[in-house]
Amino acid sequence: MLELRGICVPGRQRPRLNNLSFSLASGERVALLGASGAGKSTLLAVANGLIKPTAGVVYWHGEAAANGGRRLRQQARIGTLWQDLRLVEQLTVQQSLNCGRLAAWPWHLVLLNLLIPLETSACSKVLAQVELTADLLPVPIIQLSGGQRQRIALGRLLRQGADLLLADEPLAQLDPPLAAKLLNLLLHLGSAPRALLMSLHRPDLLQGFDRVLGLRCGELVFDTHPARISASQLQDLYKSDQNKSDQT
Amino acid sequence: MRFQAAPALGLLLPALVFLPLVALLPGAVHGGGWQLIAAFGMAALQPSFTPALIANALNGIAITLAIALWSWLLSMAIGLIAAVFSSPTVTTALWGCRWPAHWLRRLLAIPRSLHELLWGLILLQLIGLHPAVAVLAIAIPYGALVARVLSDQLESLDKKPFQALQVAGVAGPAALFSALGPSLLPGLLSYGGYRFECALRSATLLGVFGLGGIGADLRLSLQSLQFNEAWTSLWALALVMFSLEQLIALWRGRWVQGRHLLILLSCLLLLLFPAANLLDLQWQVLLNPWRLLPADQLFQLQGWWQPWPQLISSTVLLTITAALAAFAAPPLLLLFICPWPWLQLLLRAFGLFARLMPPPLTALLLLFVLKPGLLPAAIALAFHNAGILGRLFLEGLESQNQRPEQALLAAGVTRRRALLMARFNGLAASYMAYGAYRADVILRETVVVGLVGVGGLGAVLLEALSSFAWAELLPVLVVYALLTLLGEELADRYRRFLLFNHTQLGGVSTPQLELLPRGVPGPA
Repeated sequence: MLELRGICVPGRQRPRLNNLSFSLASGERVALLGASGAGKSTLLAVANGLIKPTAGVVYWHGEAAANGGRRLRQQARIGTLWQDLRLVEQLTVQQSLNCGRLAAWPWHLVLLNLLIPLETSACSKVLAQVELTADLLPVPIIQLSGGQRQRIALGRLLRQGADLLLADEPLAQLDPPLAAKLLNLLLHLGSAPRALLMSLHRPDLLQGFDRVLGLRCGELVFDTHPARISASQLQDLYKSDQNKSDQT
Repeated sequence: MRFQAAPALGLLLPALVFLPLVALLPGAVHGGGWQLIAAFGMAALQPSFTPALIANALNGIAITLAIALWSWLLSMAIGLIAAVFSSPTVTTALWGCRWPAHWLRRLLAIPRSLHELLWGLILLQLIGLHPAVAVLAIAIPYGALVARVLSDQLESLDKKPFQALQVAGVAGPAALFSALGPSLLPGLLSYGGYRFECALRSATLLGVFGLGGIGADLRLSLQSLQFNEAWTSLWALALVMFSLEQLIALWRGRWVQGRHLLILLSCLLLLLFPAANLLDLQWQVLLNPWRLLPADQLFQLQGWWQPWPQLISSTVLLTITAALAAFAAPPLLLLFICPWPWLQLLLRAFGLFARLMPPPLTALLLLFVLKPGLLPAAIALAFHNAGILGRLFLEGLESQNQRPEQALLAAGVTRRRALLMARFNGLAASYMAYGAYRADVILRETVVVGLVGVGGLGAVLLEALSSFAWAELLPVLVVYALLTLLGEELADRYRRFLLFNHTQLGGVSTPQLELLPRGVPGPA
């Protein structure tokens, strides 16, 4: 589904991503592990097209990432759950969910969405999928709790109808029971025919993933099944990263 | 059907005003002067470089700047003093009662209600043609406006430090100065910078009506169709206004230390003397006996018989049309050009031109191709104010959180749609609040386009002043003042409602005050 080949993204002191390659097939749920600053967010931003790599190619279903309209159509198949959610706070829940359809809709629907509730049944369905009730639809985003907002952001991604779900440390600011719930939801939603690529910094949450990528200083250090990661590999991932960043 | 109007809709809906405007346009075109308009446009590239003309333009600009500087400093001084005494907190601290503040506030509404042009033309009758007239004409309404804004700001400050000092036995004035002064200063400085830009625009405008400076040259060269000469003045004015705006933006953008402030103030004070010299300001003229208007004619009853409904409705119609068009143009244009970022530079240049061009001169140019009436007046007012609103809109857009927009872009949404859904929604409430304030300004400004024969109160006022029709003057002046005060009250309420709603909805304590001309009061 998604393939990155020889991706380089320069940074201020050291490259944020250095000659990184990997591929991801439909149905795969992949965790991206690494210390802060290892390049996890950059990798996700390259995958969704927000950052253009200085070298290397991104392939989407075997087709190199294009420019212009074709690139937009490719991007519309990739949904991102951002760490800071990036919802438009002034909109209602329903309008926010429908933001997922902005790329696909004709202009008159884009404008109508600003005025009246559109596609209510589809929005309710999405809300049920993220375990919220339909009575939230007319509520402004600003009045929601942090956990509710996270689910709305996830709902927007489902409304987008994305094949590939990217998630940037979505569990970082949640308490353990909420984190476990959201993780299950993401793993469930990321199963075939979709795929999931999610960055994490807690190795204790790897259960349920099909693959784990270890990232250190912008380089891939392992790509394996969660059960096959050794304690020393994990220690190495964080410890050596610490040393390396101490040196810089 | 349930409505759930998103804020961005408030930016787009006012654009509907363009439909009737465009529909009316074919009927209003007389088509005589397209060559003249084209010649004016072409002349932009060939301004006249005759040494005498350049010297003249520089002299004109220097006079305009001198008028702006003097009137600005005077208005800030008047405004600051009046603000202090129209703040109930202050009068309570000094004399233990609130009523002096309330009465001063009401009193200040009178100078504020008349546009500086009207003050200029009235003072011209009383004092005669003298540079001090232009300075006073701007300083009087500006002083009252500054007083209102600053006293609102003073009232919205946290009073606890002040109360703490009072309880500790510090005398009233000292407690006021040390507790409220420092927190008022940043707002005062940035608002002061904004007022200087306004003063420069007003000084240019007064020149158009013969009160000295570059405006007079501009009008003369436009009326005598010497477009190359007009562009010499316009380019010079553009250069001055652009550098001034950049300087003030720089100054407002950073925290200013006390000693910087002292240096700046002493520089300005030093500039006052050459400015006074240049203007040949002799304040003693003001002490000479004023030529009073003939009281017997001024207070004649027959002057009160005017076609009021028609006068008021055409003034209101002109205000609403111009305000909606000026408000809607910047978001619409930005949305249109957003796929091509380089066009933004062109739009900025166009906006600068709109800001520096006094509306009566735009109206004059429009009369080459349009019949006199509402349309040229509305377009001229809208053009000028769109330049001002556009700059604020861009500033506001740039200070918005870009991340929600990036999220949409990453999901394959086009730039135009992402801009509309993310930053437009974020900015809408504060831009609408500012738009309400601008509509109030436009209502006062309707008088300056009176000369294109729109037939509102402004036209009658200009006519009465230039033809010494004293019997008409007082009634129309009173009605115009009442109308502007009503407009101010309405705009104020709407703005407070918007910002209050915004804070309720947005959950932020200070709703993007950066969009307001920093210091125009936000929610009380």
